[in-house]
Amino acid sequence: MITFVIRRILYSIPVLFAASVLIFVSVTAIGDPLATLKVNPLLSKQTVKNIQARKHLNDSIPVQYGYWIKDAVTNKFGTPLLQPGNHIWDDLKRVIPHTLQLVLLAEILALLIGVGIGVYSAIRQYSVFDYSATTLSFLGFAMPVFWLALMLQVLFTNIFLKWHVRIFYTSGLSSENTGGGFHFVVDRLQHLAIPAMTLMVISIATYSRFMRASMLEVINSDYVRTARAKGLMERKVTLKHALRNALIPVVTVSALNFGALIGGAVITESIFQLDGMGNYFIQNLFSQDAYAVMAWLMVTATAVIIFNLIADIAYGYLDPRIRYD
Amino acid sequence: MHRRSLKLVLGMLVAATGLIIAGAAGGVSQKASAGSVVFGAEQEPPCLNGFLAGCNNTWTSWTAGTALASPYLVYPDFSLRPYMGSAKVLKKRPFTLRVTLNKGMKWSDGKAITAADVVFTWHEIMNPNYDLAGRAGWELIKSAKVNNARTVTFTFTKPYAPWKVMLNTSILPAHALAGENFNEVWNTNYKNKAGQEMSSGPFMLQSYTKGQSLTMVRNPRFWGHKPSLTKITFVFRTNTDTEIQAIRGGEVDAIYPQPQLQLAALRGQSGLRIQSNAGTTIEHLDLNTGAGNSNPLLGQRWFRQAIAYSLDRQAMVKQLFRTLNPNLPVLNNLTYTTNQRGLYKAHFQKYKRSVAKVAALFKAHNCTKGGDGIYSCGGTRASVRLGTTAGNKLRELAVEIMQAQAKSAGIEFRPDSQPSSLFFPRISDNKYDIALFAWVGTGDPAGQRDIYGCPVKNGQGDVIKGGSNWKSYCNAKVTRFLEASDSALIPRVRAADVNAADAIMATDVPSIPLYQKPTYFVFKTKLGGVKDNPTLQGPTWNTERWTTR
Repeated sequence: MITFVIRRILYSIPVLFAASVLIFVSVTAIGDPLATLKVNPLLSKQTVKNIQARKHLNDSIPVQYGYWIKDAVTNKFGTPLLQPGNHIWDDLKRVIPHTLQLVLLAEILALLIGVGIGVYSAIRQYSVFDYSATTLSFLGFAMPVFWLALMLQVLFTNIFLKWHVRIFYTSGLSSENTGGGFHFVVDRLQHLAIPAMTLMVISIATYSRFMRASMLEVINSDYVRTARAKGLMERKVTLKHALRNALIPVVTVSALNFGALIGGAVITESIFQLDGMGNYFIQNLFSQDAYAVMAWLMVTATAVIIFNLIADIAYGYLDPRIRYD
Repeated sequence: MHRRSLKLVLGMLVAATGLIIAGAAGGVSQKASAGSVVFGAEQEPPCLNGFLAGCNNTWTSWTAGTALASPYLVYPDFSLRPYMGSAKVLKKRPFTLRVTLNKGMKWSDGKAITAADVVFTWHEIMNPNYDLAGRAGWELIKSAKVNNARTVTFTFTKPYAPWKVMLNTSILPAHALAGENFNEVWNTNYKNKAGQEMSSGPFMLQSYTKGQSLTMVRNPRFWGHKPSLTKITFVFRTNTDTEIQAIRGGEVDAIYPQPQLQLAALRGQSGLRIQSNAGTTIEHLDLNTGAGNSNPLLGQRWFRQAIAYSLDRQAMVKQLFRTLNPNLPVLNNLTYTTNQRGLYKAHFQKYKRSVAKVAALFKAHNCTKGGDGIYSCGGTRASVRLGTTAGNKLRELAVEIMQAQAKSAGIEFRPDSQPSSLFFPRISDNKYDIALFAWVGTGDPAGQRDIYGCPVKNGQGDVIKGGSNWKSYCNAKVTRFLEASDSALIPRVRAADVNAADAIMATDVPSIPLYQKPTYFVFKTKLGGVKDNPTLQGPTWNTERWTTR
């Protein structure tokens, strides 16, 4: 197992390198990142020269890439394009926990609900519940995230206007002056509830479908039939014997999903104004700040690699038939 | 369902309900307390040092920037008036300006605001190592003489007419910033060397949580009208739909969004007031007369006039803004705005839509209409590209409207829009036909020479004048009038020079003015003293007068 892990980490290094070259070239090739700044007729030409010299914008792309590597390794990813007083790593340290909070909340709830729906749908196959769950799942897949986000904002705003009770906030991460402790936690949950609901819909649809399919395969297998024949209670057969094996594909999918979401749910974070990885990425992409986008990429790619590895290890743990060497 | 499962599910429901009730109760009690305002800011300042190019954003100056006052302030009627002090022209040649600060002004740390701070500001602006957004006016100062603690006399290398605009610059505290690297200090706060927040304005920065909010508190040492509010919190809400729900739901007390069609829904909302005025963002069409265009007809004055006659700008403005600002006027001057009474002359008013005039112009130049309804002149079709910044709904709608209007008059506009990161480099490279975009002005015609004057290059081939004249327009008379206006110290003479240039441009048609983008200030009726300022001074120009009921 350790050999497997080390080998996977070593394989990831060229992948990361290739991804960084691809993204750097793509972002720098969009055009002059100072173009919008230069449109200002009052902008000092000396300022443009200073920024071009500091960020090596007049050098070739390979040379610029080399400077980026140097900054990434020795200077915590360096400074943003137009703010020499800030540091990119400080910004990333700030946004990563916000995305983690949202993703953890959304994924844990989605797993609990999705697994529950999937299990019950499988046990009560072709029942009204099963058909309803299937229909709602497809609805969940088809629903555009931005539309759902806006509708939920309107819904909870209208609830507040009608009954003057604020259940959830429609934007932002925190209210002012929440202090710490319990009030902070409740306030944060109130702010993350609607974004989490938005993210959860498609995850619940995915997990419930996976769980249902996996559960149907398992409950009709020989060992489950044997367990029933031995006189075990149906609940024990389902939860102790069938569920554990049926969870394997769902765990794998959720680990991969989690890794991908670390990159930030761009639309959700933009609409709800959450200061997370997705919002950070989109703001810097529009500003053509290659350094900031590259730093985001490195963090996201590392997260995807780690969670892929976790998915494989979890798979091996849950299914003793799988062995890595 | 099994009894244990039922108990588990019921228990979870009770816990969730309890959390919701606790949060809901907390949510109600966390309304903005009396004397404080929560303002939804449509953009987060990239950083707080508004002098730097990377931080030079209107929301920087409208939020934290209110902590740093300036000698002159732009009022809602576009006039520049003394605020922190006053200035007087002592001599015209050499141009000498005396700046006198008000008596008894102090920084928030208790130190006096002095003439030395004004001189320090000049030195900081002129330091070539700093990435300053602009040095207009300050770069013409040859010397500074401190006459006394409150007075400094600047001598310029040449007369500078827009000196009041120059003095609409925040004054920096010398004692707090001397010896600091201005590129790096004050990115996230305005602290002095002792760690105290500096302010010369009615409010000072209390906290800045990047990505979330910025809080200003009352400056107890403010020299002017004592603010009634204790705190203003700016929360960043960059999505227009989110802003709308936030103000509807009472999460914020005011918003100042870019005008978008969906804002019209707020007009019927009780408890809200809306102020909308023509702003200083001048939406216009630039017609490329140079070699980078795809149709040589654009180099002909008559063809550009035909384009102007083919458009019904009044109808377009009405269609775009009837729900947001039904009284928004068409702009008929490239250099002054409709708000500037006595200065604004509607030179472009003659271009009311007239298919007959378009036809007459084409006929006079031996052009014939093709089977597709588009004129052709010696084999060259009257077909040009019309581009704007893709993704901007109002502009894209404007392009569609103008396409339809021009087509019915016999001119074809081919859509040519791109995202702004691609659009602006292309037009600054002269590679376009007609471009719809905006100049963000101050209300003062300073800078017009760079946009409409003939380009001038130095020995190295760099453009040193007319660098923003991407349409390759060159009229020697216009250039002379605009250059003269930059040094015409008598306002009446200056206005005459600027309008003379505009009158010529109304005949040459290098650009067609469309409208001034309206401001849209939405705030709760509980807020008093609030008055929209459609200039770059912004909605927070008079926060010391704001009250809450």
